[in-house]
Amino acid sequence: MNWKIFLITVTAIIIITVALFAGPRLINPFVMNDTEKEILLSIRLPRVIVSILMGAALGASGAVLQGILRNPLADPYILGISSGASLTAAMGIISGITLFGIVTIPVFAFAGALCTGVFVGAMGWKRGGFWPDRLLLAGVGLGFLFSSILMLIMSISSTEGLRRAMLWIFGDLSLADWSVIPYGSLFIAAGLSISMLRAKSLNALILGDELSHSLGFSPRKERFILFLCVSLMTAASVSLGGMIGFIGLLIPHMARFVTGSDNRILIPVSAIGGGAILCIADLIGKSVLSPTELPAGIITAIIGAPYFLYLLRRKDVLSN
Amino acid sequence: MSSATENTILEFRDVCFSYDNSRVLIDQINLSVSNGEFIGLLGANGSGKSTILKLASGILKQARGIIYLWGKPVHSYRNRDRAKLLSYLPQVLDISIPFTVREVVSMGLYPYDIMPPLSTDEALEMVGLSVKADSVITNLSGGERRRVYIAMTLLQGAGLVLLDEPLANLDIRYQMELLRLLKELRAKRGITTIMALHDINIALQFDRLMVIKEGKIIGTGTSDEIVQQDLLKKAFDIDIEIKREETGGVYIKY
Amino acid sequence: MKAGVFILDFYGKKEQDSKGAGYINSMHGGRYPMKRSIIQVLVCFIFILLIADTASAKSPERIISLAPSITEILFAAGLGDKIVGVTTFCDHPEEAKQKPKIGGMSNPSLEEVVLLKPDIVIMTTDGNPKEFEQKLHSLGIRTYVFESLTIPELPQGLKKMGEALEEDERFNSLATKIDETLNAVRSQGSASGKKILFIVWPEPLIVAGRQTAVDDAIGLLGGINIGAIGQGRYPKYSIEEIFHRSPDIIFIGKGMVEEGDKNMRELSKGLLERIAHVSAVKKGKVFFVGDGLYRLGPRVVDGIQELAGYLK
Repeated sequence: MNWKIFLITVTAIIIITVALFAGPRLINPFVMNDTEKEILLSIRLPRVIVSILMGAALGASGAVLQGILRNPLADPYILGISSGASLTAAMGIISGITLFGIVTIPVFAFAGALCTGVFVGAMGWKRGGFWPDRLLLAGVGLGFLFSSILMLIMSISSTEGLRRAMLWIFGDLSLADWSVIPYGSLFIAAGLSISMLRAKSLNALILGDELSHSLGFSPRKERFILFLCVSLMTAASVSLGGMIGFIGLLIPHMARFVTGSDNRILIPVSAIGGGAILCIADLIGKSVLSPTELPAGIITAIIGAPYFLYLLRRKDVLSN
Repeated sequence: MSSATENTILEFRDVCFSYDNSRVLIDQINLSVSNGEFIGLLGANGSGKSTILKLASGILKQARGIIYLWGKPVHSYRNRDRAKLLSYLPQVLDISIPFTVREVVSMGLYPYDIMPPLSTDEALEMVGLSVKADSVITNLSGGERRRVYIAMTLLQGAGLVLLDEPLANLDIRYQMELLRLLKELRAKRGITTIMALHDINIALQFDRLMVIKEGKIIGTGTSDEIVQQDLLKKAFDIDIEIKREETGGVYIKY
Repeated sequence: MKAGVFILDFYGKKEQDSKGAGYINSMHGGRYPMKRSIIQVLVCFIFILLIADTASAKSPERIISLAPSITEILFAAGLGDKIVGVTTFCDHPEEAKQKPKIGGMSNPSLEEVVLLKPDIVIMTTDGNPKEFEQKLHSLGIRTYVFESLTIPELPQGLKKMGEALEEDERFNSLATKIDETLNAVRSQGSASGKKILFIVWPEPLIVAGRQTAVDDAIGLLGGINIGAIGQGRYPKYSIEEIFHRSPDIIFIGKGMVEEGDKNMRELSKGLLERIAHVSAVKKGKVFFVGDGLYRLGPRVVDGIQELAGYLK
């Protein structure tokens, strides 16, 4: 098992390095002029770091969420968190408010995501605990509501922010900047480390609340804490670069296929895998139609959806 | 019946339970279980067998009365400490995340920091699943899946094991195998078992039976005392005919 | 004089015209509150020296345009040779297609822009993301934001851009030329009181609404743009509304695609059949027109004259 994790980590590091130096214009790390150095440090490095952070957050929250909802089809976006974030972000973009400078839109998105998380949590709460089905349905319902409000705003809006808002909804990393990285990494690291510390109780939770209780955990408390972690990571990720589809759903399945379902391994592997895959997706997005940049979210969906369908055909990945 | 002795590991005193003030599910139950007993809870669907087990394990909290586990109220234990004393296997075991068999069984070790007397492989051996250790649980049949969880429960190694209809989707061979295994564990390690069931033929295998109807215990005693026409007619609301042969065999006609 | 905009800005006496003007920003220049102190005066002198040293010594020689309209303006002003990068949408004039591409309007590639080492990047409020401007500043790249959104604002906006690029004369004459045409058209008032609908795309039906060059042009010609309803600049229009409002004249934009004429006639067939009983269609007052009014650049003049031609 350990050599697999080692292999995944090494592959991820190679991918990240390639993402830094490859692209429509290759940079030779050994012979760089000043412009190339600047591009590397001010443009590519923050962009790659944001990709890693977002991918890691989505991969890990996908794994955790599939566990706490006991549903292999759960995705961090199914809780409506992303729709909430998109709504507030689009409102921010369209209204043209620049209260917090360059991080205005991330701040808006984060606030929207957290509020949605709290609201979904409140709807999923009954008899002193979260109910997986209630959480799921509350998230789906709220997600639809927010998406339609978003469409409403966009169809009556006349401003130029519209196209920008659209890009943001499809997950666009082109404006990744050092300024958003510190707070983003703070929230994501917090969510990730708490989930990893609770990986055992997440395993038990997957067996069901009664067995989790029997194995010495408090399913309600664990589900609450893990839900907080997922909300925090998803909110931070959406606020960094918009909605990136399919990573949260797909990466945990791919990781299970390679390393098994034990969350002590699954969560870190999903995080590493998510980060690496998003780096590749962004690299592809900026290369295929260069100089036009495609949002990374479109690439992950185009690659992810067929691969997901292929996985579905495999017997070992999902139950019938 | 509620005369608690030093040997008593589980005791219900005037326990009542209902969900949110709706229908009363458990109505003033008193019972006590001694160390090393092998008890069957017999009753129709919805009679309250599962609820009794869930109350005993602390999953549900009684509305009135008190439940003692090794002399202390069950809710006064820390979750992890209680898990070392008592394990509960629910009737419905749905799972949709593709854990391997070994991954599930080894979760039985979660309450412990030290290595327990039994290893994962030994537990798998006991339920006859050694060859399937690396299979994915979602691909197993219902009976195999049940045995995986039983192996996990064995690995957890608690002194009191509560099993909610564990024989439900096992074929006759594994039903007998499981009963034999539990009796063996009692003999070797003094493990106490309480099992909910509704199969009267299986009920004959227990030292002590409690018959539950509408949240009340309507009869308790040895299988000879309990497997009687009138009592079971009352418990299951059906016509039933029971004949005992001199050789010790019991003939049951529904 | 070269640093004029900065100094005015510094004392908070920014030009009165908020619309139609641009503003200049760089990593050095921000906006300062109207306070006077010795320190500020000192800082002011240092600034003047700095700017005199950097900006004025070197008028922008390498320009990147982030919008098709700006590319057209720059070419019309005779600055085509100084353009080192344009968007993938910049297809007019013909020479623009040969310039290096830096991506789309809403998603330009930061790397490409940096690699082209521009002295200034000209952006528009109509389609370029604000964050991109901030990113350019953080990389020390000067920007100029062209803020005009309507035809009446255009001449003033051109003059401001001329100041920023230190090419006042070229831009002033361009502005004057546009001003003159606009005045001529306005005095004709050839469409007085006529109800006009300008269709941008037939299915789904998208028309030119408020705050568009088309709307301005119809207004200048004295007509009423019945597409100017609701909020959107290019609203989705209901076919019922066409019947209700019964336009006197319908224009259909041929769009910017190659052979747009033929395409648009094909595409509009279905729509025109459905509204066959509207008076404009019955009387044959449906005209296919060019794309001059789609971009707020020098060709709006041609666009207005084309409309005026059909109204006579």
